[in-house]
Amino acid sequence: MKNKKLYLLLVMMLMGALLLVACGGDTTEPTAEEPAAVEEPVVAEEPAAAEPTEAPVEEPTEAPVAEPTEAPVEEPTEAPVVEEPEISITIWADDTRTPILQALAEEFQATYGVGLVIEQIADINDQFPIAAPAGEGPDILIGPHDRAGGWVASGLLAPVDLGDKASQFSQVALDGLTFDGQLYGLPYAVENMALFRNTDLVPDAPETWDDVIAVGSALQASGDATFGLALSGTTYDAFPIMTSFGGYVFGQDDVGNYDPSDVGIDGEGMVAAGTWIADNVASGFLSDNTDWDTAHVLFETGETPFLMGGPWALDRIRESGVPYAISNFPSGGQPFAGVQGFYVNALSENVLLAQTFLVEFVATEEVMMELQTAGNRASAMTAVAAASEDPDLAAFAEAGAEAELMPAIPEMGSVWGSWSDAFSLIINGEQTPDEALANGAQQIRDLIGGAAAGMVNVPGSWQAASGACEGDWDPACEGSALTEADGMYTASFSLPAGDYEAKVAHDGAWTENYGVDGKADGDNYAFSMAADGTVTFTYDPETHILEIATE
Amino acid sequence: MSVLQFANGKKSTALSSSVAGIVVRLALLSAIDAFAVWFLLNLIGDEVYFLATGVAIIVIFVNVVILRHDAYPIRWMLIGLVLMALFAIYPIIFTIYVAFTNFGDGHLLSREVAIQQIEKEKYLPEGGQAYTWTAFRAEDGSFALWLQGEDAAGLLARIGEGITAVTPGEAGIGELDADGIPVSIEGYERLNRLTVVRYINDLGEISFGAGDAVVRVRSMDEAAELKPLYQYDPERDIMVNQETGVEYSAVDGTFTAPNGDELRPGFQAAVGLTNFRRFFVSPALRGPLVQIVLWNFAFAFLSVFLTFAMGLAIAIIYNDPNFPGRKIIQSFLLIPYTIPSLITILIWRGMLNPDVGIINKTIEALIGTSPAWFTNPWWAKAGVLLVNLWLGYPYFMLICSGALQAIPQDIYQAAEVDGANAWQRFRKITLPLLLVAVGPLLVASFTFNFNNFNIIFLFIQGGPPIAGAATRAGHTDILISYVYNLAFAGGRGADYGLASAITIIIFLIVAAITLFQFRYTQMWEEVGENV
Repeated sequence: MKNKKLYLLLVMMLMGALLLVACGGDTTEPTAEEPAAVEEPVVAEEPAAAEPTEAPVEEPTEAPVAEPTEAPVEEPTEAPVVEEPEISITIWADDTRTPILQALAEEFQATYGVGLVIEQIADINDQFPIAAPAGEGPDILIGPHDRAGGWVASGLLAPVDLGDKASQFSQVALDGLTFDGQLYGLPYAVENMALFRNTDLVPDAPETWDDVIAVGSALQASGDATFGLALSGTTYDAFPIMTSFGGYVFGQDDVGNYDPSDVGIDGEGMVAAGTWIADNVASGFLSDNTDWDTAHVLFETGETPFLMGGPWALDRIRESGVPYAISNFPSGGQPFAGVQGFYVNALSENVLLAQTFLVEFVATEEVMMELQTAGNRASAMTAVAAASEDPDLAAFAEAGAEAELMPAIPEMGSVWGSWSDAFSLIINGEQTPDEALANGAQQIRDLIGGAAAGMVNVPGSWQAASGACEGDWDPACEGSALTEADGMYTASFSLPAGDYEAKVAHDGAWTENYGVDGKADGDNYAFSMAADGTVTFTYDPETHILEIATE
Repeated sequence: MSVLQFANGKKSTALSSSVAGIVVRLALLSAIDAFAVWFLLNLIGDEVYFLATGVAIIVIFVNVVILRHDAYPIRWMLIGLVLMALFAIYPIIFTIYVAFTNFGDGHLLSREVAIQQIEKEKYLPEGGQAYTWTAFRAEDGSFALWLQGEDAAGLLARIGEGITAVTPGEAGIGELDADGIPVSIEGYERLNRLTVVRYINDLGEISFGAGDAVVRVRSMDEAAELKPLYQYDPERDIMVNQETGVEYSAVDGTFTAPNGDELRPGFQAAVGLTNFRRFFVSPALRGPLVQIVLWNFAFAFLSVFLTFAMGLAIAIIYNDPNFPGRKIIQSFLLIPYTIPSLITILIWRGMLNPDVGIINKTIEALIGTSPAWFTNPWWAKAGVLLVNLWLGYPYFMLICSGALQAIPQDIYQAAEVDGANAWQRFRKITLPLLLVAVGPLLVASFTFNFNNFNIIFLFIQGGPPIAGAATRAGHTDILISYVYNLAFAGGRGADYGLASAITIIIFLIVAAITLFQFRYTQMWEEVGENV
């Protein structure tokens, strides 16, 4: 009992510590960049930013010498702008990008008179959609393209117009950040997986998966390797195997947009890939353990000669000291491509300034080069990527030259779990590839369709008037859904007199909809009720034509 | 004044509150009020009216309780009540509120902000001009733009004045340079591409020119005769596209055109029972629910039983004060309780790894084969229980140690005299008396484990998958992890509305179970009284 006070103190200290951890965990101290202490005229810094080839005298726009604003002596009121910028841009970056941007902040401030505040945030992807609507978000943030799709849909990102500079970026990088035909960010890196091999065990890159099996099995037989290959996952990480057999996740339309109604998980290619995996697990060539860490440890310790890995594993593989080389996936296998970008928070007060910062300052070869060197990712700017002195980055870029962008559509979220489960069951041997993938694909289709999967609806301006629905033009309203009878869909509703319009929509969404003459995305059907009466819709799912009978 | 009356009142002697005491209390109260007012103003400024209302009610309550004499007894519970209101009741009310909205990805913004954002979108009308621009800044901070377009060699745009072609060399306009831009304009200084950046925000908000011919800066390279693309009509609650005339009406938090086109972003809106309906018609209920619920009960029961049994066993062993080094051993046995389970679960995951885990490697070295913790359904269940046992036994060890000390030794002596053996003494004396103290904690532990998302998700993510399930489910999935996987996992984004609805449904299930169990705790209490 006499120690009670001591315990109390201890508990208080612990709680205090927890509070500190809780508050300090996400955000390190925002570091406003202090300008150089010595009062140096900005002119001296200028050559760093301006291209040295241009003669300042001939090119007044680039020459601060001609600008009285920049000379503190002549224009004393302007001097403080350089010292303490009136405005500054806040950037949320992860631990890799923070030091690079911080190093650039001083130069940026000296050149433009605008401050740069870099905040290191551990989980930007989760924090941003919470902070931005509350008005607490940054002006600019960094993140992967597959999350940006959701942010665009929520109205959190402002478009970025690269103008002439767009041609300096690789097409896949621009595609990744383009939503609805508009670019919503500045891409700075493209990342994809490639095949690592242990050069002690395998001197030459394999051409086909059969080569991989031949080389790996020989090493297993001689006792030099435990497994021929260990998968570091069943979905994203194993995707190159699936693509080499023709597997895909979502089909694409003519212009390359992913089509969520075409789920390829139970397609022929996927089944072929599943069979290949099942056979090789059975023969002992593939490990039945698909843990990411395990696969990497096995490669780093020389127990497997191959690894399908990404640039994010470069550091740990280099540290492990295992001799490695990076090459394309065999048999034309293609990984997913991911794009890393800078995004402008649409709810920030500095949207135009942030856009300008990205286009004028970040989208330059110098800054892009810095980002590439420190980030271990091939730059989205083609000239910078080509100028890389790191052969590994070049090898990654080659392996991903024809990589498909990871789908950024929200439906992708419904795919991962069932996709992974299906391959787990294949690897366990609990189900045949056929069964497992068919079931997995069905789960995905149900989840994408949700409650409305299979629903045929006739949304229109008549819905609320009929009393069947709360609002008009609602494709998910159950009250107005048609019911199936003898292969046709039909339903009747009583309506007050008036003119109405309608359309056919499948699965409770506008994704698949039909207008006049059964044309996809066609014009609205129009019908009018001369007096209060009943309308009967009859829809033929073969021709997609809707008959509207009024009485 | 009421405070003074209270001080001078009939009970003043009993209260022994000196004037100083009152002053201190009043000062404290005004400090709290001042803080509350400041906090409220901030909340209202941020448009968080919901929380503001809650805080206002609490503050008024606090004032009433402290100032009113007849509320004296409540004063002792004041802090507890306030904390309960803030940290228990407010979140519950908010959760219920959100369950009836579409708050989530695509509908993160409030209605006002969404309208503002949509109205920010601009378009270039037919025949509208686009220019490249150069900015000039006057000493008073106003700006002028020098515009160059395909048809126009050089136009000067000022605020509130028509955009005009001017002749260089006249009216204070300097000679043109090689790019066709005046070197100087009287009263203005020319900004270059570097110096203009700090003013770009201001420039973007200015409309240059007058009347209909208004030019706005869109980017560093372009200024154009932009017009707002959408305009909100508050009377009819519609958005009107100024270019096409299409009217977008608000349907469930999205401005929707007659042909189904939707404007982004959507906004938060009340959607009635939609979220609940979505859950009940979702594929979730077509999954192997019976299997999941059975395992959920088995997992919770076995977790409680095993941790309690092991905790009790250790407590009895070390209850003997003569046991050598028992304090040190007991301290070591407490370690699992002191390390965050987030970390230990992941460490266990590593140790049980079939290829590189230390435990599996050891077992394999001893008997040639090792359990498939992550792929075999039964081993997976065993693994989850094993790790949970390791995490949970110290708690019951602590509780039981204390409770054992409280059992009077003379009962044991009496039992020994009556000829009871060790097992009978444990069964008839120790266990019943222990359960009196520990019973309610067992219920609490059951409830906790029933919703023990951490261990299931961090250790094994609910896997291995159940083959042929209509909806994705794993052999170790409990209700909460199953629903989480369906609703949120895999970067599907946040759907707070649906999440809140599901939370409420799960709360009802758990509340029913707990209510049921409280009957048993009452039963235990009766046993205690009888003994």
